[in-house]
Amino acid sequence: MDRRGFLAGSAAAAVLGTLPAAGQDSYPSHAITFINPFPPGGAADVVARPLAAVMEPLLKQPIAIETKAGAAGAVGAQFAAAAKPDGYTILIHIVSISGFAEVDRLYGRPVKFTNADFIPIARFIADPMVLIVNDQQPFKTLKELVDAAKAKPNELIFSSSGLHGALHLPTALFMRAAGIQLRHLPTNGGGPALTALIGNNAQVLCSSIAAASPQIKAGKARPLACFGAKRAPALPQVPTLKELGFNIEFYLWVGMFAPKGTPSAVITVLREASRKAAADDTFVQAMNNIGQEVAYLDQAEFRAFWEADAKRVEEAVRQIGKV
Amino acid sequence: MEAIVDNLIVGFSVAFQPGVLLYAFLGCLVGTLVGILPGIGPLAGISILLPATYGLDATKAIVMLAGIYYGSQYGGSTTSILMRIPGEAASVMTCIDGHAMARKGRAGAALAIAAVGSFVAGTFGVVLLTVVAPPLADFALRFGPPEYSALLVLGLVFLAYMSSTSLMRTLLMAAAGLLLGCIGIDVMTGHFRYSFDIKELGDGIGIVPVAVGLFGLGEILSTPAKTVTDKVAAPRLSELMPNREEWRQSAAPIARGSVLGFLVGIVPGSAHIIASFLSYAVEKRVSKTPEEFGKGAVAGVAGPESANNAASTGAFVPMLALGLPTGPVTAVLMAALLIKGIAPGPQLVTEHPQVFWGFIASMYVGNLMLLALNLPLVGLFVSVLRIPYAYLYPLIIVLCIVGVYLVNNSIVDVWIMLIMGVVGYFLRKLEFDPAPLVLGLVIAPTFELSLRQSLVMSNGNWAIFFSGQRPIAAALFAVSGALLALAALSWLSRKDWRRGLPEES
Repeated sequence: MDRRGFLAGSAAAAVLGTLPAAGQDSYPSHAITFINPFPPGGAADVVARPLAAVMEPLLKQPIAIETKAGAAGAVGAQFAAAAKPDGYTILIHIVSISGFAEVDRLYGRPVKFTNADFIPIARFIADPMVLIVNDQQPFKTLKELVDAAKAKPNELIFSSSGLHGALHLPTALFMRAAGIQLRHLPTNGGGPALTALIGNNAQVLCSSIAAASPQIKAGKARPLACFGAKRAPALPQVPTLKELGFNIEFYLWVGMFAPKGTPSAVITVLREASRKAAADDTFVQAMNNIGQEVAYLDQAEFRAFWEADAKRVEEAVRQIGKV
Repeated sequence: MEAIVDNLIVGFSVAFQPGVLLYAFLGCLVGTLVGILPGIGPLAGISILLPATYGLDATKAIVMLAGIYYGSQYGGSTTSILMRIPGEAASVMTCIDGHAMARKGRAGAALAIAAVGSFVAGTFGVVLLTVVAPPLADFALRFGPPEYSALLVLGLVFLAYMSSTSLMRTLLMAAAGLLLGCIGIDVMTGHFRYSFDIKELGDGIGIVPVAVGLFGLGEILSTPAKTVTDKVAAPRLSELMPNREEWRQSAAPIARGSVLGFLVGIVPGSAHIIASFLSYAVEKRVSKTPEEFGKGAVAGVAGPESANNAASTGAFVPMLALGLPTGPVTAVLMAALLIKGIAPGPQLVTEHPQVFWGFIASMYVGNLMLLALNLPLVGLFVSVLRIPYAYLYPLIIVLCIVGVYLVNNSIVDVWIMLIMGVVGYFLRKLEFDPAPLVLGLVIAPTFELSLRQSLVMSNGNWAIFFSGQRPIAAALFAVSGALLALAALSWLSRKDWRRGLPEES
């Protein structure tokens, strides 16, 4: 640093030093960035945008959505984990956030980030997965599917959005619980996975209810079981896996995270704003539009849910193992 | 037929509402700009403008966003022709003969042919979309991984006809492209390949940074070493439009490009890129004067430019009729509808006829707007060439960097583009044609995925590609086989037409 720079820096420091320590409780003092780790229009994006719109007036600061897509959400999460923990870089991520570390461990790669690198703030939606089959398949109930799969192991094919992805994990848990083996057809996204099923190139798919609904309504896909704790309002006639004797739950949830080390005063502000936003009519309507119910959890409950959920995800990753 | 007319009347009554008309125009305008600006393609343009549609109703939102998509296919040819910089990935093929035409002083003609070809193909696509979308959607569903593998094998066979340089050089570049396409996470096993711990490389190397780097930056970097004597910079006004001979030469390629592009557009994947390159290869194959290609063949502009437009319209078939996205762009368009509470699916047309038919009708209007927008601009664009390189090129480099960064907000992409720019410079010096490399890069990941998916489906049995249950795949393989056999025969009988070509262009 040259002398002039040094002087300017010192002067700035002096000015800052004279400011009252109110800097902390005046959070947020400038624009906040939400990191969306998936392509535009993806699961995190469609929640983050209306959320940002509702939170802006509450926080009295603009909120920008920055898309950092790549490696199935790992690029965005890693970016947020490495960001300055000042409350101005916030991550919106989904259920698969818990899987990356386990996958890295599985392959003996250095672990880039773990769940401990994030502070959970709130959960906004939790869409239970639904197991669907192509309509040309004869199976009317889950039992028929399981029996067929047992009679001919490794014969039926399930599609997914990608290895160890949010659509692969619940299928792996189900296969283990049912003691069956299906063949895995990975694709490169939720859309292609659904296309593979509708085109009968795959017979089974675990999808979010929101994504599968139009195809179910049109009779192109048949729902056999839901992954929720109780039946989904959108599919009241479809039994849950728990009713059918499989102790499995799996949700495609979307939550908000801050990097580890973010001051608790900042977290409190974000929690408050999230709570109000989740109850806001505009946000509720936006979620209904994308076929979702708001399933808000405040920090404490979300943390407990996340820990249980991470166990499920890690178990599923280990179950899939190295391919 | 009557029902279609009734539906179209409903559609046009929606499309001609002043508000809808305005947003259709905005979409086409932005699309043209997105196409012209190097780096920013339709996906980036739509993603950036997606938030702006949150306040609009569903029809306006989809009309505007779709306008960006098919509008970008019009604008993409502009910089390809004028400066050999692909405005977006589907315009790579236009760089070759389009720019060669510009060097001969026919920049205006090339631009006009591209615009008219785009219009014909776009309108043809919308007519098909109106009349036969449901049965075509079923065809799209029958196009699974084995069929896609077969199509890409055909693409690889066609690669040999791609380039204006020697066959050896073409294959070298194609092989390099295929190798680059192997970078990234292995979809089947989750291993990182050649990623050197850079997470961003997990998704592979993007087509946009490579295309912009190799063609655009490479061209710019090599300019200072050339004596700039180009008199093309100032064509007379009367020379802006194609002459009668050029119109005649472009008619058949436009027709073939429209049909081919639409069919390829229906199937999943990066259809509009593959469509434009298949069209180029087909034109060169059927041409009576294949030696003209690479030196400003009119068909080399008319075919691919029509094909990419028809493909972008064809991509709407599975999206509208089935609610299934065929690529990233249609996925974002579907999300835009979803946010409005309209779930795209097989029942879209019955549940929301206003949106569905309004959208279709707006594409007729949009294509007219784009023609009206692009033809008069030909003169303006050509005069861009009057700007001295010293001012023009730094500006373009900035635009390239910004555009490539915007696609994924990724600095890694910018580095890839810069490195590819240097590579492109040396390729120019050594007289390698970079087009086969870009196409190898497009084909490799898709081919690998669909090949391995096919083998998962058949449990490792290669017969899946030739079985009676998969007639489309078998037929495509038969075409590939026949082409190879023909080539082998002509080589054996020493009548290889390629021998008539000069070794280098």
